[in-house]
Amino acid sequence: MNDVTAAAAAALPAYRPKLSFAWVGVVPFVAFAFLFLILPTLQIVTGAFRNPAGEFTLANVANLFQPSILSAYWISIRISVASAFLGCVVGFLLAWAIVLGGLPSWVRSPILTFSGVASNFAGVPLAFAFLSTFGRLGLVTLVLRDWFGINIYAYGFNILSFGGLTLTYLFFQIPLMVLIVTPALDGMRREWREAASILGASGFQYWRMVALPILWPTLLGTFALLFANAFGAVATAYALTGSSLSIVPILLFAQIRGDVLQDPHLGYALAFGMIVVTGIANFIYIWLRTRSERWIK
Amino acid sequence: MKQNRFWSWIFLAIGVLYFLLPLIGTFEFSLKMRRGVYSLDAYEAVIFDPRFQATFGYSVMMALATIVVGVLLVVPTAYWVRLRLPSWRPVLEFVTLLPLVIPPIVIVFGYIRLYNTSSWLPLTGTAMGTNILLMFGYVVLSLPYMYRAIDTGLRAIDVGTLTEAAQSLGAGWITIMWRVILPNVFVAVLSGAFLTFAIVIGEFVLAALLNRPAFGPYLQLIGANRAYEPAALAVIAFAITWGCMALIQVVSRFAPRPPAQPH
Amino acid sequence: MMKRTGTALSMTAAFLMVSTAISSAQDLAALEAAAKAEGMLTTIALPHDWCGYGEVIAGFKAKYPEITVNELNPDAGSADELEAVRANKDNKGPQAPDVLDIGLAFGPQAQSEGLLMPYKVSTWDSIPDNVKDADGHWYGDYYGVLSFAVNTDIVKTLPTDWSDLLKPEYAASVALAGDPRASNQAIFGVHAAGLASGAAAGAAAGEAGLNFFAELNKAGNFVPTIGKSGTLAQGATPIVIWWDYNALSGRDALNGNPPVEVVVPASGVVAGVYVQAISAYAPHPNAAKLWMEYLYSDEGQLGWLKGYCHPIRFNDMVARGVVPQELLDALPPAAAYEKAVFPTLDEQNAAKGVITSKWDSVVGANVQ
Repeated sequence: MNDVTAAAAAALPAYRPKLSFAWVGVVPFVAFAFLFLILPTLQIVTGAFRNPAGEFTLANVANLFQPSILSAYWISIRISVASAFLGCVVGFLLAWAIVLGGLPSWVRSPILTFSGVASNFAGVPLAFAFLSTFGRLGLVTLVLRDWFGINIYAYGFNILSFGGLTLTYLFFQIPLMVLIVTPALDGMRREWREAASILGASGFQYWRMVALPILWPTLLGTFALLFANAFGAVATAYALTGSSLSIVPILLFAQIRGDVLQDPHLGYALAFGMIVVTGIANFIYIWLRTRSERWIK
Repeated sequence: MKQNRFWSWIFLAIGVLYFLLPLIGTFEFSLKMRRGVYSLDAYEAVIFDPRFQATFGYSVMMALATIVVGVLLVVPTAYWVRLRLPSWRPVLEFVTLLPLVIPPIVIVFGYIRLYNTSSWLPLTGTAMGTNILLMFGYVVLSLPYMYRAIDTGLRAIDVGTLTEAAQSLGAGWITIMWRVILPNVFVAVLSGAFLTFAIVIGEFVLAALLNRPAFGPYLQLIGANRAYEPAALAVIAFAITWGCMALIQVVSRFAPRPPAQPH
Repeated sequence: MMKRTGTALSMTAAFLMVSTAISSAQDLAALEAAAKAEGMLTTIALPHDWCGYGEVIAGFKAKYPEITVNELNPDAGSADELEAVRANKDNKGPQAPDVLDIGLAFGPQAQSEGLLMPYKVSTWDSIPDNVKDADGHWYGDYYGVLSFAVNTDIVKTLPTDWSDLLKPEYAASVALAGDPRASNQAIFGVHAAGLASGAAAGAAAGEAGLNFFAELNKAGNFVPTIGKSGTLAQGATPIVIWWDYNALSGRDALNGNPPVEVVVPASGVVAGVYVQAISAYAPHPNAAKLWMEYLYSDEGQLGWLKGYCHPIRFNDMVARGVVPQELLDALPPAAAYEKAVFPTLDEQNAAKGVITSKWDSVVGANVQ
């Protein structure tokens, strides 16, 4: 009996659900992220749900729903969306110009390296640069006033406004877009363009029906990055309009870093709220991307 | 094609104008140190300081180390997730967005709490240990940009087909990564490298609280209550960082890549 | 008989003084030896242009070359300093701060959390009682009053008082040096404006100050940018409300380009006190104590005075005549300081509570 079953077992391949060890490949990254990103910042999550005595409480999170803080989140979101959107559009046009726009090849390299530097030019130096250029006594303001007789401040322009802040944020948003989108534009094959025009598509149709759909997930992903980038940016806004702007990072700053006794637990709750907003934004992006990716490949 | 080029030049011109004007404003202000005349006094005060060279050199070394570790960490992970674990992508993307909204000061105090001299991994006890901790901190800060850049690059190539082709030719994983994937995403890696380099050079909070002689704390020390020197420093830091990136670009021409695609 | 007793008593007193001098000199020598054995001191949040700390630290290094001074994060606020102590509880590396220089309100807070090590410097008795903890956990180090730093290239007539700032000639000119929801300096600015309008120190002055700034904003005179040397010189914020020591050292650093006048307002003169403390987890406690001895010696206190800060032992040192005349002349006129109000901790907290919570709604965030 044993021989028969053994022979039968040897003849048939043993059926076992295959254990996937694919997750092993991400172990280094997960370990790194856990040790050097999640664990050190767990304090935010625990701190948000504790009071100074160390007990569990939902009071900090409940505090987030007061009107002044809600409006701070709202302004933060508005500025982030505005600068991300404009950064995407202008950055895309610039990237298109240097990659596909028929410009001489020596233009590309300096623009990319410049974008690298400009993408991190933020904080006090950036705020000061814009103040010294577009402020009331800024270079451009004075030149326009004295040489051309145009007083931009009389027309209602003010660098210390929502629009001015967005304009300043674009200085690091646009280069970020350029750097990230350039490899994607590099991947656009010339053959696709040729095939489209053989089939009778105009330039506009090519973009609308071939290129943009292909690039759409990348554009969405970079928009999400730009959004989070602006959402977390504090140094520039603080230096430019610090005493009258209520964006969440500035409020956070006041609670956990200020020069006066505040409530660090509220600060952690604010940071936790920011993480939640980022998570929601990411989720929306993933959802939109999944829908569009159905038609690719 | 001709019309293409016209618009390209227009966009380029607008872009250049927008970016140059604030820099010109800063530069013009930095020249005003001596009353009534334009002079380079602010620059003299800054360039000949030996600490400038020492701290800048330190930050450059850290930046290069961060880029290498970042690439080694992110490229295989992004590739693997794209290939085998696509359901993990949302989680990965969320995690890589976190460093943008978590204040760096929370990160550094977290490091000090976790990796101090009485912990299981006493990194802060030695200079080299603290350097490594700082570098990991920099990798975390540059993670969003590095990941997004590399993910964009991977999206543009057909990862699955390339892998299958390489495997059918008998390549092992290391060969696939080094000789097939990396050259094809090189432009993306370069973008990520530029972004990382700029971040590390200018970073202040991590270096200041971990007590490392980096460029960021030096800038802060010199510029804190001055008027003209910070403007000069900003211009110099901008120019030198740009120069370093141009060097990276030049060196990268010697790296293996596929022939340039004609557009 | 009386004469002999008198002589005997005074000789005993003299002997005691000499002997305590000898014993404290011995203490100091022992302290110096212990500190040198530790070889390192870690400070935090000491910008070089604040109260002349650059020279004070250099003086310490010159006096004790065996002690390396690590300077952490000169940009830190008081809350950052306390957080650094908490985070470095178990860390004996060079990232752990030994000594702190924090706002007055933070002293009791840190003490209640057990973050401070008590120590009484040898000159303890000459520190006024109302700015030190009886057990020596924290002790006042210097103070200054709020003043206006005016860029006279752009602003032709100097404001002399808070009410002047409302005049139309100062359109888009006045800025605070920090965020009034977070910065000690800015909150004191609002408090001072309130005091100038006649309100009592504390919550009342806080409210009055908020109303003043609301008016200033409505008149178009208030600039929401954080005022710094750069923005003062460039013209974005030609009038900055600053601690007098910051204003004076900023004026010196600009060196006449542009010329800056520092004006202490005629009313509403408010003084802010900072305190020193040693961290309870200091890796180098003896070096920390030696640093305190240095700071509270005449030498250290004069170092702060050179940075235009009024050291806490100022009155004592002036009475003993150890302050050089040129340092006294470099300060704003003493008459201005006689009117200075030193808000108590309770008044400060009350004002802060009002100002930080109501700034946005009363003054109105004009960046929408």
